[in-house]
Amino acid sequence: MSHHILTPAPQASLASQALTVYGKELRDAGRDHRTLWVVLASSVLLAPALLWALSFWMADLQARNEQRVVWVEGIEHAPSLHNFLARQTYQVQAPPADVQEQLHRGQFHDPVLRVPADFEAALARGQAPTLTLLTDSGYPRAQAGAQRWDRLLAAFRQERATLALALRGVSPGLLEPMRWEEHDLASALSRAASISTVLPFVFIMAVLSGALNAALDTTAGERERGSLEPLLMNPVSGMALAVGKWAAVLTVSGGVAVLSCASFLPAQAVFQGEVLRSLVQFGPLQALAFVALLLPLAACVSAVLMWVAIHSRSVKEAQASATVLVMLFTALPMLSSLNIIDSQRWAVLVPGLGQHALMGRVLKGEALSAWQWMAPWGVSAVVVGLCLWGLSRRWPRTVG
Amino acid sequence: MIQLHAVAKQFRPPSPWWRAAAAPLQAVQDVTWQADDGQITGLLGPNGAGKTTTLRMLAGLIPPDRGRIEVDGLSVLSAPRQALARLGMLSDAQGLYPRLSARENIAYYARLRGLCEAQTEARIDTLARLLDLRSLLDRRTSGFSQGERLKTALARAVVHDPPNIVLDEPTNGLDVLATRALRDTLRMLRSAEGGAKCIVLSTHIMQEVAHLCDHVVVMAHGRSVAQGSVAALQALTGQAQFEEAFVQLAFAAPPCAPGVPA
Repeated sequence: MSHHILTPAPQASLASQALTVYGKELRDAGRDHRTLWVVLASSVLLAPALLWALSFWMADLQARNEQRVVWVEGIEHAPSLHNFLARQTYQVQAPPADVQEQLHRGQFHDPVLRVPADFEAALARGQAPTLTLLTDSGYPRAQAGAQRWDRLLAAFRQERATLALALRGVSPGLLEPMRWEEHDLASALSRAASISTVLPFVFIMAVLSGALNAALDTTAGERERGSLEPLLMNPVSGMALAVGKWAAVLTVSGGVAVLSCASFLPAQAVFQGEVLRSLVQFGPLQALAFVALLLPLAACVSAVLMWVAIHSRSVKEAQASATVLVMLFTALPMLSSLNIIDSQRWAVLVPGLGQHALMGRVLKGEALSAWQWMAPWGVSAVVVGLCLWGLSRRWPRTVG
Repeated sequence: MIQLHAVAKQFRPPSPWWRAAAAPLQAVQDVTWQADDGQITGLLGPNGAGKTTTLRMLAGLIPPDRGRIEVDGLSVLSAPRQALARLGMLSDAQGLYPRLSARENIAYYARLRGLCEAQTEARIDTLARLLDLRSLLDRRTSGFSQGERLKTALARAVVHDPPNIVLDEPTNGLDVLATRALRDTLRMLRSAEGGAKCIVLSTHIMQEVAHLCDHVVVMAHGRSVAQGSVAALQALTGQAQFEEAFVQLAFAAPPCAPGVPA
C-alpha cells in the first residue's frame, strides 16, 4: 500500500461532490421504507381518499333529490297541502313515531314537517295556522332538505294568497309590485372550484409532509447521529454539501407532489355520482399545471426546512421548529380560502399562499398570466439561494 | 508531516441575550508539536487537556484563535481543502450511516475525495484485506459491533490513502483482540511497506503509548507541556515507569505555566 499511488490526493469538483452527496442522500432516504410508506400513504392517497368520501356524500344527496320524497307528520290534517305537494310531484311519507328523538340522535337526517290537527280549518278561516319544521342544522343533508321545504311552503303560501285575492276580485299583480330573477354567472368550472378548494390544500400538505422528514434527516438527523462531523473532515465544499442534500430532499418532496397529482387522475374514475364527476375538473392538463406550481413550493419548503433544522441540535428540536413553519405554510392558504386575506397580486409572491390561489384559478378554468407562472419560480429561486448560502456557512458551526 | 505552532482556542459558551455573557473557556492555550512521517506520535493527556479540540482544529472543523497548523507544509487555515486532502482523520464521533452497507459508507467518502470508481473499488479491496473487513463489506452498518464500526470508520477515513492519519481515542470500547489488531495495523502503516505514514494517536491509555508511539506529546491544561520519546520523558522526570513520568508532567504543571520543556 504505497501512499504515492493516490497522493497528492485528487480533488473532486464542486459539481461532482454535490452529485455524490445527492446520490448518497437519495439512496439513504430510499432505504427508510417505513417513513416512505407513511409519507406515500398520508400524502399520495389523501387527495383521492378525501374526494372519494366526498363523492359518496354527494351521490347520496343526489339520490335523495331524485327520489322527491318529503316527510310530513299529520298530512291527513292538510289535504290542500297534500294536493299541492302531489302536484309538485313529491311523494309524501309519514315519518317514524319517535322522529324527534331520532333527529336529535342523528339517526334520521331529513327534515320533517309537523301539521297541527286544525290546519285545514284554520286555513279556511284565514287564521294563519303554524306549521313546524323539525330539522337538525348540524347536518348538511338536513340543511339542504330545509331549504327545499322553504321553497315549497313559500310557493304554497303564494298559491293560496293569489287564489284568495282572485276570488275577491283583486289582481294578483298587486301582490307582486316587483319581480327578480337570478342569473348565476359562475361557470360549471367555477362551481367545481368552490367544491374542490380542498384540492390545492391537500397537495400543499403532500409537498410539506414529503419534504419534512427528508429535510430533518439530512441535517439535524446527520448531526444527531454524529455523522456530520466526520463528513466535514473531508475536503468537501459547504455549498456542494448544501446543494446535494437539498436536491435529494427536493426529489423526495417533488416526487410526492407528482405522485399525488398523478394518483388523483385514475382515482376520479371510481367517483360515485355524476354531480361530483361533473364538478371536479381535474384532467391531465390541470395535473401538469399543478406540478408546475407545486415544484417551486417543494424547492422552497425543502430549503427553508433544512435551514431551520440545521440550527437544531437534535431531530426532536428540529421537529418543534419545523412544526411552526409547517403551520405557517398551511395556515396562509386556509386564511385565503376563508376569504380572511384577499388573493391580491402580491399573494402569488408568498410561497404556499400563492400556490393555493393559483391552483384555485387553474381549477376554475382561468388562464394564468406569465407573471403568475413565473413569480413562484422567481421567489423560490431567491429563497432557495439564500437558504443554501446560509446552510453552506452553517455546517462548520454545527460541530464547533 | 503535521506541525502545530503556538495554537490557542477559546470558547464562549452561548448565553441568551437577557443574561450576562458566561465567562469564556480557554480550551487550548499554547500548543506546539510536530509529528513526522514514518512515526506514530502519541497525544497524551488527562480529560479536558485540550486533545480533542486540538485535533478538531487540525481537521479544519474549528479555526484556531491564533497559531499555525500545517499538513505537509499546507496551512489548514488558508488552504483547507488541499491540506485536508492529505489527511485522514478518525474522530471519536465515528458516525456511520446505518442504512448503508460498509462498502457504501467507504465508497461515499472515496467519491467525495475525488477517487474514480475503479480506484474506489481497488482501495476498498485493499482496506478490506488490511482491516479484515471482507465479511462485513456488504452488510448494513446498523447492526455492527463497536469493533466493526471502528474498522469501517477507519477504512473510510483512510480510503484516499493519505500520508497523514489522525486517530482520536481509537481503542475506546474495543476488546483486547480488536485493540491488538488495530495496533498491528498502525505499525504496518508506519512501516516503509505500509507507506511510512505520519500517524497521530490521541489517547489517555499509558500502555498504548508505551507499546506503540515513537514520539509522545504530553498535554495538560490546554498546553503541550512536554514531548519526546517514552525513554526521553522518563529520563526528563527521573522516573523508571512511564505512567509515573506522565503523572508528574501532566498533573504537576501549573495551569498557566508558559513554555514547553523538551
